[in-house]
Amino acid sequence: MKKTITFFAFGIFILLILAFSKSYNTPLYFEVPGAWPEPKYDFKKNPLTEEGFQLGRHLFYDPILSRDNTISCQSCHLQQTGFTHVDHQLSHGIEGKIGTRNAMVLINLAWNKNFMWDGGVNNIEMQAINPITSPFEMDETLENVVTKLQNSSKYRTLFSKAFGDEKVTSQRLLKALAQFTVMLKSSNSKYDKVMRKEAVYNEREQRGYDLFKVNCASCHKEPLFSNDKFENNGLAIDTTLNDFGRIKITNKKEDYLRFKVPTLRNVQYTFPYMHDGRFKTLTEVVKHYNSLGNDKSLPKELAKPMQLSDNDRVDLVLFLTTLTDKEFLFDKRFSFPKE
Amino acid sequence: MTKKTWITILILGCFQLVAQNKDSLHVNFKINFDKFPLVLHKNYITSKKDSISISTFKCYISNLEIVYADKTVSKEKNSYHLLDINNPNSCHIPITKISDKIISKVSFAIGIDSLTSTSGAMAADLDPVNGMYWAWQSGYINMKIEGKSPSCHSRKNGFQFHIGGYMQPNYAMRKKVITVNGIGDITIAIDVAILLSEIDLKNTNSVMIPGKVAMDLADISTKMFYLE
Repeated sequence: MKKTITFFAFGIFILLILAFSKSYNTPLYFEVPGAWPEPKYDFKKNPLTEEGFQLGRHLFYDPILSRDNTISCQSCHLQQTGFTHVDHQLSHGIEGKIGTRNAMVLINLAWNKNFMWDGGVNNIEMQAINPITSPFEMDETLENVVTKLQNSSKYRTLFSKAFGDEKVTSQRLLKALAQFTVMLKSSNSKYDKVMRKEAVYNEREQRGYDLFKVNCASCHKEPLFSNDKFENNGLAIDTTLNDFGRIKITNKKEDYLRFKVPTLRNVQYTFPYMHDGRFKTLTEVVKHYNSLGNDKSLPKELAKPMQLSDNDRVDLVLFLTTLTDKEFLFDKRFSFPKE
Repeated sequence: MTKKTWITILILGCFQLVAQNKDSLHVNFKINFDKFPLVLHKNYITSKKDSISISTFKCYISNLEIVYADKTVSKEKNSYHLLDINNPNSCHIPITKISDKIISKVSFAIGIDSLTSTSGAMAADLDPVNGMYWAWQSGYINMKIEGKSPSCHSRKNGFQFHIGGYMQPNYAMRKKVITVNGIGDITIAIDVAILLSEIDLKNTNSVMIPGKVAMDLADISTKMFYLE
């Protein structure tokens, strides 16, 4: 009899463990496209789940993150334009205040080691603290955001689904946001289809691609179209901003005027261009690079003049438009969550 | 196993939980000014004849280890502690079971290591809501001291020392080993007067980025810690 009771008790114990185990999680698989390198993000420290992703998505689109509940991540990172602030040289935030840099695109962030134009942020999970606390963006404190979310029954439910209980912490908030942003993967452009032999380039696109490989690809490295490094690309200093780039983070002389090499995926829609948004069109960008050369202060990749003809420039821009990934820009999984 | 055994285990388990805190060896930190407990907003005179008052003192201690005379070591898992003068409990750290063994020394780091600083969002003492994390340039503030002095020709005569940095050559975490040679709880003083006696407040009163000045302050900060 005693034995039966023991087994019975043990059975209940096991059932209880199962009931409180992580049954609330639906694992999400992050697929790395065929020939792509391994992502830099450490998924082990933040296992992706559908519930975590959906919580991150709600947070991304919710102005609750800002002091006066007016600004969400989306305000400066619009999906249809590669998650950047289209048509604004410098992004504006709370009460129309204007920052000092052009909002970056949010594309293939799982492959980035550092974040922001100067690489000051070392982990995508910590990135969101910047816009939330910046007086020019959301001007809110993390504590207040945590309190506001904790007081919201909608978020208590979403946190509970993602993490097993209703407790809101900054760690959970940041990890959930990272689950959403790290999933923003763009790998279905015409370029990708050509690489997978599902499509072919026409003659001019192919010419553009050949020119790209010779003149651009050493920094805008395929398949991510960035080497994830910081370079001086020969832009004159804008004296109204005096932004010297990465040197502010590292204090190293060689980082003077170096900025992050951004990805070129979806570049057709991410205008304006450069860290201060000074160029409105890709033609202006290509003209800038074409004007460089014979300058010792520039990196070796830009030391030799490109000498592109007018036709070359047009073909190069044509190739760049093959990096547009409409499936990504209109993917419903990344859009505003409708209840 | 019988029912009785199960219940015994359960009761013993409960006792164990209750007992843990009481029977622990504590490392206690005392925040001092010139050998006496620091009182916030009180006026002090430094050895440099600066009249000062302190409004904030927070500091990270990590990787706390007790080394016994018999060469055994007690380490803490996830050993990260934010000491805050406004939260006296934060300064009493239970580290291991109390014993009769002679403790030869205690070692710890002042600040947060590079790996932890790059590992993403953390909780508890490492939660960025504690105000010890830089947003625009990732990384923890290892030590934060703020106050006022007429010697500072700054806004409202304020001074702010936010010492941090996780990247070489400005890696501001510092290791500290203190010889104990005793039994039982250890009390370590952190003396703010020592740091202020080595700073020229007129010229150095606002340090809020990693760099050479922060590295110098981090070096000085190791002298603030002594056995009481």
